[in-house]
Amino acid sequence: MEKHKPVWFLLGIITFFALWWILSKIIMLPIVPSPFLVLVNLVAIFMKYIAIHSLYSLWRIAAGLFLAVLIGLPLGVIMGYFPKWDRFLSPLLYLTYPIPKIALMPILMLLFGIGEFSKILMIFLIIVFQVIVAIRDNIRSIPKETYYPLYSLGAPFSAVFFEVLWPASMPKFITAIRVAMATAISVLFFTETFGTQYGMGYFIMDAWLRVNYLEMYSGIVVLSLMGLFLFAFIDWIEKRLCHWQYK
Amino acid sequence: MIEIQDLTVKYQSQTEIYTALECINLAIPDGGTCAVIGPSGCGKSTLLKVLAGIITDYEGEVRVDGQTINPKKQAIGFIPQNYGLLPWRTVDENIYLGMKIKQHQKTVDYAKLQVIRQQLGIEQLGKRYPGEISGGQQQRVSLARAFLLKPDLLLMDEPFSALDAITREEMQDVFLSIWEKYAVSTILVTHYVEEAIYLGQKIVILSPNPGRISRIIENPLFGGRNIRQKPEFFELGLSIRNLIKKDWSK
Repeated sequence: MEKHKPVWFLLGIITFFALWWILSKIIMLPIVPSPFLVLVNLVAIFMKYIAIHSLYSLWRIAAGLFLAVLIGLPLGVIMGYFPKWDRFLSPLLYLTYPIPKIALMPILMLLFGIGEFSKILMIFLIIVFQVIVAIRDNIRSIPKETYYPLYSLGAPFSAVFFEVLWPASMPKFITAIRVAMATAISVLFFTETFGTQYGMGYFIMDAWLRVNYLEMYSGIVVLSLMGLFLFAFIDWIEKRLCHWQYK
Repeated sequence: MIEIQDLTVKYQSQTEIYTALECINLAIPDGGTCAVIGPSGCGKSTLLKVLAGIITDYEGEVRVDGQTINPKKQAIGFIPQNYGLLPWRTVDENIYLGMKIKQHQKTVDYAKLQVIRQQLGIEQLGKRYPGEISGGQQQRVSLARAFLLKPDLLLMDEPFSALDAITREEMQDVFLSIWEKYAVSTILVTHYVEEAIYLGQKIVILSPNPGRISRIIENPLFGGRNIRQKPEFFELGLSIRNLIKKDWSK
């Protein structure tokens, strides 16, 4: 796959910083500092101040994602494969999916405290619906004929799952994770602005309140690099698990 | 021995009950082949699905060696029209799928795999994916999967219809040569008269609405070499065509 060679990532990063630099030259105000100043500052303070915050944020995303897959995957499979379950569960899904999950934040905080769990739960709630819908729709769209050779072999459900359902829904599943990831990072930022002293959200808001724009931008760059890292990681997984689709 | 007695299959559509097959009676001896020929919508595929254990809601009796058909008990090889290969599995994994599910063999017996690959001329393709190989090659892979299992019954749904004319004749010969080695009872569905004559010891003609057997022909030409060029082949083809025209226009 040519398009994901590291050199292309590098080109993307350079273009991003070039655009930023031009913008800072046009605006000429401390609220948009030059990217070079920010990078120098970032290198100076990363290990000392930022690393711990980024690890906290990564952990929360990973835990939320893991929970979402743990719950969303079986639900999506059940709803996609067994129409009876789908008839019962779909209305529930449609009722709960549109609720802005961020509006539940105060409730989650009251119920589960303002610690780690409510933050992870928030990310979980954002991602899980997209996982369920993607997997369900994908399994529904598998042509019936795909199952026939397995049925005629008397295959048990476990074989149908591992031979057809799981591999067939993998590409759409990964796309769902990719789409959900961006939302998850934004929500993570929001949840980290209160009830914690760790996380990129806390770090950025704290720098902002201290009117330290260089630190604030350093934090934003780290958050954006975290996103880049997560997306690249998902691309890598897709390449490993779904290489048959590129043939 | 495959025995079908008074098989009737009905579909429940939203407004009415539709009879796809009515009173099918058929017996196929062990190691025999039977070609079922009929127009679209005459229930050919339905018949295969009953035999494959995909449709379980039917009236009548379907037995393999005296036992009611059940894909969990008997080994049934089913080759659907699109060959039924899983696009996310390599050719080798696809060939071995039957063994994996039917005989719970986790580790691949490479010696057996190699033999069947050689017999079908696909030694070089093991690591490729179905999407990367031609239709004729996919057909060979699906035959390899079916024959590796040494099934009690092999079912093929218009197996060669998606291939070009030259490849089709080649694949028919490939099928016959491997069928002779393994002597597997086979039922195949087709809409080509020539294919039915070339591959079927018995030729069953179905008529539509509802699907019924209108005639069973014991094929005198089956198994002969180069029969495609012989005048008898054309004559039989012509007479079956005439029979069919009469039947289907009723």
